[in-house]
Amino acid sequence: MVVTILEIILTIFLAGIIGLFFLGLSRKVMARMHWRYGPPITQPLIDIIKLFNQTNISHGVLFNFGIIFSLAGSIVVLLFIPLGKICPLSSSGGLLVILYLMLIGPLGLALSAGEASNPNASIGISRKFLLAMSYEIPLLLILLTVMTHYKTISIVEIVNTQLQTGWSFKYLPLIFSGIAYILILPAILGVRPFEMVQAPQEISSGPLAEYSGKYLALVTIQHAFNVFIGISLFTNLFLGGAENPGYLFLKMLGVFIIILLVNAVFPRFRIEQAIGYLWKLPTLLAFIGLIVVLVT
Amino acid sequence: MNLEILLGIAFGGAFLTYLLGKISSKLRNGFAVLNALALVVVTTFFYGHNIEKLIQFSFLDLPFILRMNMVSWFFAITIVGIGLLSILYSLKYMENEKNLNYYYFTILFINASMLGTVICGDLVSFFIFWEIMSWSTYLLISYKGGDKALFAGMKYIIMAIIGSMAMLLGIISLYVSFGTLEISSLAIQIQSASQNYILFILIMFSIAFIIINAFWPFHSWLPDAHAEAVTPFSSILSAVLVRKGMYGLYLFMYMILGLNILNKLKFGFISFNGILCWIGAITIIFAALTALLQNDTKRILAWSTVGQGGYMILGVAFATTFGMAGGTFHILNHCIYIALLFFVAGAIEYRTGGVRDLNSLGGLIKKMPITFTGGIIGICGLIGLPLTNGFVSKWLIYKTLIIENHPFLAFFAFLGTWGTILYGYKFIHNIFLGQLPGKYKDIKEVPFSMQLPIIILSIMVILFGILPGIPLKMINVVDTYLGFKSLNITLGGIASESGILNTINIFMAITVIFIIIWVITKKSGKTVKVDQYDTYAAGAAIPEDKYQYTVNFYNPFYRMVKPYLKDFIDEFYIRVALSIKNLANGIRQIYTGDVGYYVMYIILFLALLIFVQLNWKPW
Repeated sequence: MVVTILEIILTIFLAGIIGLFFLGLSRKVMARMHWRYGPPITQPLIDIIKLFNQTNISHGVLFNFGIIFSLAGSIVVLLFIPLGKICPLSSSGGLLVILYLMLIGPLGLALSAGEASNPNASIGISRKFLLAMSYEIPLLLILLTVMTHYKTISIVEIVNTQLQTGWSFKYLPLIFSGIAYILILPAILGVRPFEMVQAPQEISSGPLAEYSGKYLALVTIQHAFNVFIGISLFTNLFLGGAENPGYLFLKMLGVFIIILLVNAVFPRFRIEQAIGYLWKLPTLLAFIGLIVVLVT
Repeated sequence: MNLEILLGIAFGGAFLTYLLGKISSKLRNGFAVLNALALVVVTTFFYGHNIEKLIQFSFLDLPFILRMNMVSWFFAITIVGIGLLSILYSLKYMENEKNLNYYYFTILFINASMLGTVICGDLVSFFIFWEIMSWSTYLLISYKGGDKALFAGMKYIIMAIIGSMAMLLGIISLYVSFGTLEISSLAIQIQSASQNYILFILIMFSIAFIIINAFWPFHSWLPDAHAEAVTPFSSILSAVLVRKGMYGLYLFMYMILGLNILNKLKFGFISFNGILCWIGAITIIFAALTALLQNDTKRILAWSTVGQGGYMILGVAFATTFGMAGGTFHILNHCIYIALLFFVAGAIEYRTGGVRDLNSLGGLIKKMPITFTGGIIGICGLIGLPLTNGFVSKWLIYKTLIIENHPFLAFFAFLGTWGTILYGYKFIHNIFLGQLPGKYKDIKEVPFSMQLPIIILSIMVILFGILPGIPLKMINVVDTYLGFKSLNITLGGIASESGILNTINIFMAITVIFIIIWVITKKSGKTVKVDQYDTYAAGAAIPEDKYQYTVNFYNPFYRMVKPYLKDFIDEFYIRVALSIKNLANGIRQIYTGDVGYYVMYIILFLALLIFVQLNWKPW
């Protein structure tokens, strides 16, 4: 019991640090690409501490609780994803539960932002849901391929098998799914070219328009966790996970750098273009992957 | 306790309510509630009983048999439970309507007939109760009157009659072949029948049950029926009446035929259950995408009823322990949250003066907090968010699909969930969130008798989500009665070797983390509350009461999928109906009422006969 609690605290702590580091890193890398110096890597952390002490506005009870609920949901997802050998809630339902728990984050944020009654927020939410609906189609196909291939719904077992047999990415049936996953990863993380949800210049940060002070801090933390979840899920499923958190971090860093490069060079899609893209090549690849797994 | 008493209370109560209504409306309302309550109490007593009773009242030398077992009990308790809550809800909701005696009589009568279908033990009385149910439903769908209501009712009754006729054909054929219609003796005798015969019977009955279940391609009556029915009845219609089709499938597939025969019904790789599964998958996807494009509160819920049926059939048709538990549990869960959501939609109608258009509502969370809480809990259950009841049953169904190696069915089921999120959020957002229009400034929360059903059902959604062991124990008894293996159930979920689910862990984790974050936020930073017009708009002033943020919520998507999402099936049915009507009109032209014409017809006919005789000499 004590060990589990310690593991839970450690997971949340590490994930938070890694997520915030990624946010800081992305600003630094982007700045350097733009020939700027950029803020220090610790800037997101400094911002969060500052935001917690500022005065903020609130639009009602759901506005406050929705975002807390959303953050709690994101944190619980962490406990289901193996961080090296650490996975505190591994035996409470597996990948299917992760899929469902991942809904709490966006839903909580959407409910919270919905009460703000800001037109930009409503536009942003509508885009967020449509985007999620469109990347969810290839994503589900990919996850089902993985589950069918390994004949289990437990993510820990998938990682353990890969530790013995090597990365899933290397094997024929899963290579299609792996490529499809990389193609949709920017959409899952919400970076360019799939940045239309927040689109700062267009709809003033969309759902985040009304957040300030501590609630903005919570949104930032949630964003950090989401980046961590998105990348670590991919790493665990396709890049073999890792035996210890340090190694996992290195793999995740590699993936994140690739995503940053994409982010740096692309302009923003419109939502229709994004749906069109996600439903074509990635879905086709994911679909082929599932067929191949079913046949072999 | 006797089963006749149960039926007696149900039917007698309905007639007595009508008579009491002639004396005083207060007396009638009180009696209707008492009657519904009595039914709940009496039904609870039958838990775990296994009764079969022959009553000396025969019709065509066929005995009238009542029986109660766990399957009947399971469906009976949902019927009487939702019945009680709807009648409670009707008290205030229907207050100002006309023809209330008729309304209460019909609603109790439908409940009684549904109860009849699940506790009768022979197919003749099953058919009779089924017909009573169909006809009285028609009466209540068209209760409001007007062209649209009559059209919806007519659409329903035509489909229901097609179903009943198929069923009647099956029943007659069974009687001719086996000489009995008792369910228990049929179950024994049918084991020796040939495979083709069984398939024929199964298809005949399935048509009836699939129509009443509103599965694709027989879904088209349900959305219209819902849009026109009064709301308390919508919740009965959607929560329990539609699911009588599921009872029919249980009765036929598992109680009469049994697993052995069903597993043998295979032609190559096509099996009866496989076809049912794909019907379920198509139903899910089609309904989810169509619901997304609706702008009417009750139509969204109606389409979701259609879609959720798909999940049930996916679980039930797989006929494994997990799938059956998932399917059965989903019937119960759906019945809870869809009734809840209809009550919420009704509450909005009640306070806004019948507004159901999602594009003209908004911001009601501040005015109707309890209704909102009910709505959000119901939607979470519908989506199947963890810690609500819908999650556990969907988890079981997905688990079955993946274990049984059907990733494509699982894909459709998952995708349906995403559709559900989109329209679920639209439902909540467009009614309760966003800006409150000025005209709804003085709206109040609904009266307590309407809040009570919402509160009770909300508590059930959450309770069954956190402690799914309670209902799963009962469902386990139902499934073991049908011949499935027993599941290893714990209070927080399932602990069988092929899958572990522990909702208590998830609940603890979320609650603890939630409280920690809440305490941290509470301690830090000062909060200033602002009103709904004080928003950031990047320098552009937002005029008050000019914007309606909810209109065309998913417009980009709508533009993309609209051309592909026509309800071809519905159009086809309507076209068939129209051409039959035209044909009938054409035929009617013959009957002019003029004797001269009739004489001419006779002469022409004789001339034809003579002509035939002269040419070919057939006689």
